Amino acid sequence: MSDHLSAATLNALADGELTEEELASVTEHLHGCPACTSHALQQSLLKSATERAGQRYEVPDELRRRMERIASSQSTPGRMVERRRSSLLSPSDGPAKWAGWAAVAALLLSAGGMAVFEVNERRVQTAAVQRKAIATELSDQHIATLAVNLPPQVLSSDRHTVKPWFQGKIPFSFNLPDNLPEGTKLEGANLVYLHNRPAAQLLYSIGSHRVSVFVQQRTTGTEDHAPAAEQEGFRLSSFNTRELDVVAISDVDPANLANLIGLIERAQVR
Amino acid sequence: MTLLPWKRATRETNARPSSFEDLAMPLLPALYNVAHWLTRNPSDAEDLVQETFLKSLRGFASFEAGSNFKAWIFRILRNTYLTSRSGLAARRTVALEEELREDGESAPAAYPEGAIDRETPELNLIRLADRAALHGAMEKLPPPLLEVVLLCDVEEMKYKEIATILEVPIGTVMSRIARARAHLRESLESNSFHKGFRA
Repeated sequence: MSDHLSAATLNALADGELTEEELASVTEHLHGCPACTSHALQQSLLKSATERAGQRYEVPDELRRRMERIASSQSTPGRMVERRRSSLLSPSDGPAKWAGWAAVAALLLSAGGMAVFEVNERRVQTAAVQRKAIATELSDQHIATLAVNLPPQVLSSDRHTVKPWFQGKIPFSFNLPDNLPEGTKLEGANLVYLHNRPAAQLLYSIGSHRVSVFVQQRTTGTEDHAPAAEQEGFRLSSFNTRELDVVAISDVDPANLANLIGLIERAQVR
Repeated sequence: MTLLPWKRATRETNARPSSFEDLAMPLLPALYNVAHWLTRNPSDAEDLVQETFLKSLRGFASFEAGSNFKAWIFRILRNTYLTSRSGLAARRTVALEEELREDGESAPAAYPEGAIDRETPELNLIRLADRAALHGAMEKLPPPLLEVVLLCDVEEMKYKEIATILEVPIGTVMSRIARARAHLRESLESNSFHKGFRA
């Protein structure tokens, strides 16, 4: 038996299944064991990547409607009673009948207004969730890149090497800036996948800080969901063109990050 | 970029709903997602979800208010799957009982240190943003391992809930999770090796 944490413990750690005492003991071990820390990180990354990849299939609209009908059938008898009761109104009900109709109309208008409000509210919430999800995926990818000791897939500071490397690998093209500010350097690039679509991950360094710039094709009908400005202590800065979505993520100060993303944005209009 | 809305939907169920509709509809996206993974085709997945809804609606009177509705309906989905055409076919093609030792107590011995290869370069594993590769790796999992990954990682259920749904001891759940992750890691590493990452 080695001194390292067992696979079962690492799994339980990633799954949040350790008791407080176990967690304290594991945390203490991780402080002094880089190997186990690395494996714990791997487990955690594998779990979160599996979680994202597992969310694969959307409910078809027709199935949703069918299930709504089935699920709501439970309360159908009550509705039937209501309908029957309303049909008992006779023509002789006179003003009372019209007052009833007016009340129904007012109710419908009010319900319509509420429905529109709810749809808008839901849209706002969905956009917020999407922004957060994009930021999470980008930060996961950035952290994963920082965590490994291996060089990028294309290791070069020459934009004339980095850009052509993507030919045939991604279905779009982009420009890289000619001149970078002092202390800023292109380190290389990786081909990655974000939301199951290929993206170029450009790796820069600004001083001792690392920056990932993700460039992805803008799809038809894509709504403008810029990622959240901050995620797990990293700052994000983005822009988009008619063809591209570009997001930079780093722990460097915001001014330097904005400067770099500004240079990349200007390079696209060449 | 798009995000499947089901995850959020399943988490926003704390408003003390009480009718079947209120409890079941927010779980529909998650149920369909798991059903599609298990059956591997949309038509069978729709049938499975519909059958699950009908069965759970019929049995809703016996559902104990305040207990775990999500675990309850997933258990119905899973049992319905096992007796479905695709479920029976999957069970026939996978030598489940031989491949997986179901005795939870002895399970840890099956993956002592081998489940995590400590010499494996991290990078091969961490190319996890390649969702196509992950989909491929998940598709290769035997059904008992796939379902535990879906419930644990995708549905974020606790081991105890998973044990209830699968009707197995917690030790077996842990064993399957370890095996599933080892399988995924192996597939991804093999995939990375064949693709070659260097320019």
